[in-house]
Amino acid sequence: MEVMMKSSKFILMVAVAALSLFAVLNVFRNGEAETSQKPLPSVSAIDSTKCIAPASFMRANHMQVLHAWEKSVVREGDRVHIAANGSRFQKSLGTCLGCHNNRLFCFNCHSYANVKPKCWNCHLSPMETP
Amino acid sequence: MMNEQRREFIKKTALGVFAGLGVASGLVPAFSLEKTALPVWDEKPVPGKIRWGMVIDTRQCKEGCQQCVTACHHEHNVPAFKNRKEEIRWIWKNSYKNVFPTATNSAVSKEIQNRSFLSLCNHCADSPCTQICPTGATFKRWDGIVEIDYHRCVGCRFCIPACPYGSLSFNWQDPRTAIVDPVTAYPTREQGVVEKCNFCSDRLVKGLLPACVDACPEQAFTFGDMNDPVSDIRVVLESNVTMQRKPELGTKPSVFYII
Amino acid sequence: MIEKALKGNRSYWIWIVFLVTLVASGLSAYYQQRWFGLTVTGMGREASFGIYTAQLTFLLGVAASAVMVVFSFSLRRQKELAKTVIIALFMAVSAALMSMLFVVADMGKPDRVLNIIFFPNPRSLVFWDLLLLSGYLATSLISGWAMLGAEHKGVPPSAWVTSVMYLSIPLAFGIATISAVLYAGLPGINLWLTAVLAIRFIASALAAGMALLILVTLMLKETTGFDAGKEAREKLAMVATYAGIANVLLLGVQFITTTYSNLPWMWFSLIIGVVSVTILLLPALRKSQLLFVGACTALVLSVWVDKSAGLMIGGELVPAPLGSIVAYAPTSTELFVVVGIWSLGTMLFTALLKVVVAVKVDNEG
Repeated sequence: MEVMMKSSKFILMVAVAALSLFAVLNVFRNGEAETSQKPLPSVSAIDSTKCIAPASFMRANHMQVLHAWEKSVVREGDRVHIAANGSRFQKSLGTCLGCHNNRLFCFNCHSYANVKPKCWNCHLSPMETP
Repeated sequence: MMNEQRREFIKKTALGVFAGLGVASGLVPAFSLEKTALPVWDEKPVPGKIRWGMVIDTRQCKEGCQQCVTACHHEHNVPAFKNRKEEIRWIWKNSYKNVFPTATNSAVSKEIQNRSFLSLCNHCADSPCTQICPTGATFKRWDGIVEIDYHRCVGCRFCIPACPYGSLSFNWQDPRTAIVDPVTAYPTREQGVVEKCNFCSDRLVKGLLPACVDACPEQAFTFGDMNDPVSDIRVVLESNVTMQRKPELGTKPSVFYII
Repeated sequence: MIEKALKGNRSYWIWIVFLVTLVASGLSAYYQQRWFGLTVTGMGREASFGIYTAQLTFLLGVAASAVMVVFSFSLRRQKELAKTVIIALFMAVSAALMSMLFVVADMGKPDRVLNIIFFPNPRSLVFWDLLLLSGYLATSLISGWAMLGAEHKGVPPSAWVTSVMYLSIPLAFGIATISAVLYAGLPGINLWLTAVLAIRFIASALAAGMALLILVTLMLKETTGFDAGKEAREKLAMVATYAGIANVLLLGVQFITTTYSNLPWMWFSLIIGVVSVTILLLPALRKSQLLFVGACTALVLSVWVDKSAGLMIGGELVPAPLGSIVAYAPTSTELFVVVGIWSLGTMLFTALLKVVVAVKVDNEG
């Protein structure tokens, strides 16, 4: 009898879980339907005096900057980036993420724009940090 | 000996550290990913100025000790695949027969036959692996280190038979599944690329000695710039008879062994 | 012209559907390999080359050998080969395409294949080999298609077509030589460290390629009634015989100087090589159609075994860089991919031949 109880409870739980999953998925689907009106994902405020370049430039060109950094560090050993205002930075993903330390900083935009950069195949993703 | 090596390093790098303080003003290491330690060499390096080299005093290498191997593999997130087919190694212990298969003195003592000899990438001056790589992903750095650019490697694996020392390993599957105790300070590799010892270029840039050198309890390693006539390694090379692996191939290895 | 490949009888379509099925199974096996990595193959630490590279080595030779027909026809003015030239060119196209697919199938990161063009290493023979191969694929396809187009219109081919065809001659010799030097220059594998490898690559390529071409023309005669001519086959057989003799001689020499004699597969290759060359050499035996076809098949098989089991797998069996021996055997996934790529190449060749035959029949009828 008790076993019966348990199994029926179990079925109930599974059903509730499935229903809620369905609901959640549907919410996402609704969200997707109106992507055109969706605002840009918000990111935490950044002290722009410490940025290597204006945010508008970085928003459009960060991938080129990262590629250029990767190339010059790995291939030439040139590890120091000198910004337009003369401040110096180490060319590293860690430099960016040291300031942009919101875990979702990369992911918000990338999932919004549906791009899948391969950085985290090897580099530790901010989502995976303890 | 250890302290002297460190001193040599500090001397060489003192200038860089002072310059690095300037860098610090623009850098807030608030978040610990791959930590952005300041580069010791602030300026763009001059190609050919430095040539890193290593001497291994095999007489000091103790049987059963795996500290250098463990330290290296841990520090660089080297996966620990157990089956021989997919094993990945940057540094490992081997027998005299396998490390020096072409050595003319084949009648060596029992003690030498039983001694362990460390195998690692020789960072050859004339490296066959960099020559065969179609994309230049395996390339010779400005400081003599043979480095693999994991961003560029296509995984054609021609470098593997090109290397006469078997120093390259291929990632037959996703290495992240087999990393036992991952460190956050160094990236992993990914499925489908070749990897090998990097002479700890990641540590050299922070002014540290390679992980294996640091980890050895017997101080069997000497590491330094072979182009610097007063460096430790030059002293050791000049005062000892050393051996290179398969010298007849003309690859000019940067790793030397004292037998 | 290409629409002619879409009109065929029942058996043509059965053949195409059969090949499509094999291509599909190859694709699904390849998908598995992409997902799990090359761990699904039999390759490993000590055997980093396997059956893919073996096919590549064989097919490079077949592709390059076709140039012999071009060479004899255009430079040595051997008119009896006129009907075979386009077939040879299209065989080169299919073989070169298959070679490239095997290169990609063997890559750990095929999505980065264009890095070879974006970041070329001019010191690398691998880079030159792939560059020449793509150049050869292009010249063969362009000159073959243009010649066929001219024939379709009933006019002689333009002068530029001949120039492109001439260009393919050095490319072909380059492919065979560079691949051999590439293998010979790998210090990790002692068995290949010999200058005779380059000569043997050319000899074995010519033997296998010409024998294969003979079989193709015979097959065309059987299935479509289009005959390239007995004289053409005699010419091809002559080249195949001489090249085959050179190959078995050099192979025999290598049995003495290297460790080939330890490999049973190499004995198989040598013996059937000698037998097939003997049959092709003796007029009394050659006259029999059955023996002739058998000898050509055996010659192809001999070179295929030599290139795959012997050269690639044998090279790695004999102490690899670490002085240890690890046997290699391909997995079923690998075999499916191999069959898939062969089927794709065969399908392309069939379609191209269909167009060739249709044009020739049109012109004759």
